[in-house]
Amino acid sequence: MLGDVACGAGLVVLLVGLAVRLPLTVPWAIVLTATGYLTGRAERHHVDGWAAVVGGALLLASELAAWSIDHDRRLTTESRVVVRQASTIAALVVVAVLVGFVLIGASGISTGADLLVTAMGVAAAVAAVALIQRLVRS
Amino acid sequence: MTRRASPKLGGYAVLSALGLLAALVLGRPELVALTAPFLLTLAAGLVVSVPPRFGLELTADERVVEGDDVRVVVTVTAETPVEQLDLYLRLPDGLALKDGTSPVSIALRRGEQRELELTLSAKRWGAHTLGPLYVRTRDQLGLFVWEGAVLQTPVLRVYPREATLRRILQPRETQVFSGSEVARHKGEGIEFADVRPWAAGDALKRVNWRASARRSELWVNESHPERNTDVILFVDSFAEARHDGGGTLDLAVRATAALADAYVKRRDRVGLISFGGMLRWLQPGMGTVQLYKIIDALLDTEVILSYYWTEIEILPRRTLPPNALVIALSPLLDRRSVGALLDLRMRGFDLAVVDVSPLPFTPRPKGGLDAVAYDIWTLHREAVRHRLNRAGVAVAEWRDDIPLQAVLEEVRSFRRYARTARA
Repeated sequence: MLGDVACGAGLVVLLVGLAVRLPLTVPWAIVLTATGYLTGRAERHHVDGWAAVVGGALLLASELAAWSIDHDRRLTTESRVVVRQASTIAALVVVAVLVGFVLIGASGISTGADLLVTAMGVAAAVAAVALIQRLVRS
Repeated sequence: MTRRASPKLGGYAVLSALGLLAALVLGRPELVALTAPFLLTLAAGLVVSVPPRFGLELTADERVVEGDDVRVVVTVTAETPVEQLDLYLRLPDGLALKDGTSPVSIALRRGEQRELELTLSAKRWGAHTLGPLYVRTRDQLGLFVWEGAVLQTPVLRVYPREATLRRILQPRETQVFSGSEVARHKGEGIEFADVRPWAAGDALKRVNWRASARRSELWVNESHPERNTDVILFVDSFAEARHDGGGTLDLAVRATAALADAYVKRRDRVGLISFGGMLRWLQPGMGTVQLYKIIDALLDTEVILSYYWTEIEILPRRTLPPNALVIALSPLLDRRSVGALLDLRMRGFDLAVVDVSPLPFTPRPKGGLDAVAYDIWTLHREAVRHRLNRAGVAVAEWRDDIPLQAVLEEVRSFRRYARTARA
């Protein structure tokens, strides 16, 4: 129930963001939707194999929303631009889903689930800090 | 070009950080799978993000006549692949987009050259600066945006469309060079003037045999020589009335160009005075070069607000040669220009005024005090014209629906009448 509410709220926030062309709403919509998904899986202790697809779908929604908000209606866009943009998004989503599947698969092959999760979490945190540092510097 | 991060970059960075942190705290591998796509996009975008390199060139026809079409070409040459290039050419007032697309978004492959053609309509005379040409591009994943503008853009000179004048005003006095105006004094020429007794040195071809036979002595013909004249075109740019894209200054400039063209063709010396907030002058000259100088000077004419009381004395003496005909094109809106015209008349200049009427550009209010003020204003204008008439200045009102030729004929008839009255 709580998960459905969170997903619904995420959808509403996304629609509002598209209507008023506010880019800030997109990350919040993703966060709310992801929270709804995780809340729905709270009582299940095994790893969901479809999480990679869910991640890919969130990326697709985010990319399409950003494209729609960024699009300047005063511009006449030639078809080549649209085709290239769509192809890039499609390729990105496919690769992201594949990477997600690899990560999910790696989490299943482990000596101890807790240890693997902890190690992945530490590596991810370090990567996140390094990334933010790079962003700040650039 | 300046680079800025798109909102997507910040959003994805926050999502990635939050997702990974949550995965660490909650110990859920699904969170990593949800976060990985955003992290992957960020990483890929930062790695492949390279500023697109391309060249831009803007070319246009340099000179056109009012009402003609202008061809503008924007040439883009890509040195690297450009995913999306947004181009916008800002057009000045006086030019309108007739054909082509602006703004436009295009994509280019490496080494590709594209030409974007725009057709503009030159609605109003003047020196119009095209642009700036605004440019915006982004990287492949849309994480970074580069923006800039091409500020050095060509200047398009739109010349006023001139009316063809069949007959123009004749100055009262001529100058010393050969021209098309029949002089009042006598000399070598074609136009018959008088007969007189033969004197030593007179050529045999000038002998009037009939008169000589009647008087039993030699009599010769005298002629009026053809001489050129000096004409000064006086454009009042202190104030103008405008409505619906047209104004009195537009009419005055077009009429000045037509008069300059007509007088230059007669081999007269033509000068220009733009009398207003910005005072400009051109000393009288002859030929096509002088005509282009005058028209180029006219293109820069504009109404500039000024409270400075400008008078005729500040003009160089050579700008107003004696015996020159001064043709003023003025809406008679500003006291300074009316004062300058009366000053010219009092100094003995041969002056004619074309009153470029502001009435068509100022609709009469429907009623009330505004309508009364409007009527008082029109009466004041009548009084100003009457004052100029009393000073011996020919004044004719010109409205847009009346050909300039008709107005010049009205001025001619007044000048003929005035001369007869003085005699």
